[in-house]
Amino acid sequence: MRTLGAPDPGGGGPLNRKLAGGIALGALGVLVGAGLLAPEHLPPADLGARFLTPSVAPPLGTDGRGKPLLDYALQGAQVVAIPSLAAALVVMFLATVGGLLACAGTGRASAVSQAIGEIVGSLPRLVVVLVVALLLTGGARVTDDPPGLMPIALTWAFLAAPGGMDEAAAVASRLGGSRFVEALRAHGFKSSRIYLYHLVGLNLRPVVVRHGVETFMQVTFLEIALSYLATMPPQQASFTHPASLHSWAEILYMGYRWILGESSFHALALGLGLIGLVVVVAMAATSAARSR
Amino acid sequence: MRLWWVRTLVRLVVAVGLPFAVPCIIVYLIWSLPGDPASIICPPEMCPNTEALAARWNLDQGPWHFFTSWWQSALEGDFGRSWRLEPGTQVADRVFESIGPTVALVALAALLNGLGALGALTGLLSRRFHPLIQVVGLVPALVLALVASAAITLGWVGEGGQLAARVGLGALALGVADAALSSTVSGVHSLVQSERLQRYAQMAVLRGEGVLSNILPNTLPALAGQLRARMVQLLSGAVVVEVVLEIDGLGDLLWRATLQQDFVVVVAAAFFFALMSAALLFFQALVEVACALWVRRTPGGVAP
Repeated sequence: MRTLGAPDPGGGGPLNRKLAGGIALGALGVLVGAGLLAPEHLPPADLGARFLTPSVAPPLGTDGRGKPLLDYALQGAQVVAIPSLAAALVVMFLATVGGLLACAGTGRASAVSQAIGEIVGSLPRLVVVLVVALLLTGGARVTDDPPGLMPIALTWAFLAAPGGMDEAAAVASRLGGSRFVEALRAHGFKSSRIYLYHLVGLNLRPVVVRHGVETFMQVTFLEIALSYLATMPPQQASFTHPASLHSWAEILYMGYRWILGESSFHALALGLGLIGLVVVVAMAATSAARSR
Repeated sequence: MRLWWVRTLVRLVVAVGLPFAVPCIIVYLIWSLPGDPASIICPPEMCPNTEALAARWNLDQGPWHFFTSWWQSALEGDFGRSWRLEPGTQVADRVFESIGPTVALVALAALLNGLGALGALTGLLSRRFHPLIQVVGLVPALVLALVASAAITLGWVGEGGQLAARVGLGALALGVADAALSSTVSGVHSLVQSERLQRYAQMAVLRGEGVLSNILPNTLPALAGQLRARMVQLLSGAVVVEVVLEIDGLGDLLWRATLQQDFVVVVAAAFFFALMSAALLFFQALVEVACALWVRRTPGGVAP
């Protein structure tokens, strides 16, 4: 953590950070771009082209009905990209607020936010998400009217935010809290520069970004998990996306059936590769945001 | 330091209030949805006689009446009958059957994390292993649960998918996935490292005393907090692991009830999850009180 010019030996050089930032932005761009390019519907089944490998049916091969896996991957990206990003932004915003409150000398507000965090953080998140999903469907079967990933992602973000707020507040407290702000004021810095540059930009950034990317990754994995569980027999519908769209979970499910003797190893590799892509985004973004 | 008890008191209040608040909030949210609860639970096109259904399901006199009568029955061990999941079945029977596997799954996963914490605390688990644990921790619970499921399907572990094998493998997957173990190990390690650098700990070393016995009273509350957070994470992840590995636990019950829109089962399952969370909060508060008393009653002992 950099306070006033102190270097952080573990932070890596500027080149490393720029490289990590480039990788994170590139991978994120691929994810969002894939979502934008996703077709509205998959092409009709072609049973003559079942389970073709990527070398025969480039770029990603086909599924058990001859439909290209590329379309599954693009639609899966469309399902997760925007809600995951929105959840990450919510957590980053709230974590920043938590850090700023700890520095603004508003002890009461800080205590209230800690108490709320205590309550919110005491419940298993997936339980809350399932209850929210149940209430959002409002009695309709999930097959009829899925609520979509966005409300679930935002619920997850609000449940994850107290952790980020707590850690940001701890960072601010280690800086000295309101004394840090007063010291910089004494140096003649404006409030906007102190809060936005010294506090958020230099000191809270690593924590805030890390919590944001963790949430991004968690929401993506949550969607895959919920869709996987929902598409496992006997259920056949997910509440995270409409029936016309396909989640990455379906690619994983196809890949899993390779173990049972289907020729879908390429689907398994693709499913794991997509999960790997999300992990790369998270790790690269965290590295890029490290303190100087 | 004089107000150390404030956060502990908040925890105790939350621990007491949580089992009441969770069912209450769910019930009020059901009533806040557009339309009356009876027709939400069973739409008129499926159930024409909505009024009779509302009376039968105790939905005809408002949320408070439903909540208070639900609580009165719950205190007698009656959580109503399933509406959709297994119509007519006593929810209490299903919930009590489900708790055992969930507790076993989470306890085994917690044991794994406890061993990791102990290793980090005593220094037996070298920092060199942290990158490896962190890489494994990046894998989501679903993927590790699928690996466990594959091992069972292929007959590598357990004969015919025995419950013990499924719970054991599930606990392993749950314990390391989603950064559970890596967070525990790195959290405990960094906490101990920072406490070791405190002056009182270094003085203890100069006096020839053990570092651990000196820093433990000051670090125990934070360690208890980390342990509770991990247990809550494990309870959350248990839903995925139970469904994939077909373990008839509370998470699996909650999942199926959510898909089937069975509010009574969801309220009961959420209540028991809240009860477990409350127990964890209570445990953390007890540790904090015990440590505070210990530190204050040991004149020559620990003081930061």
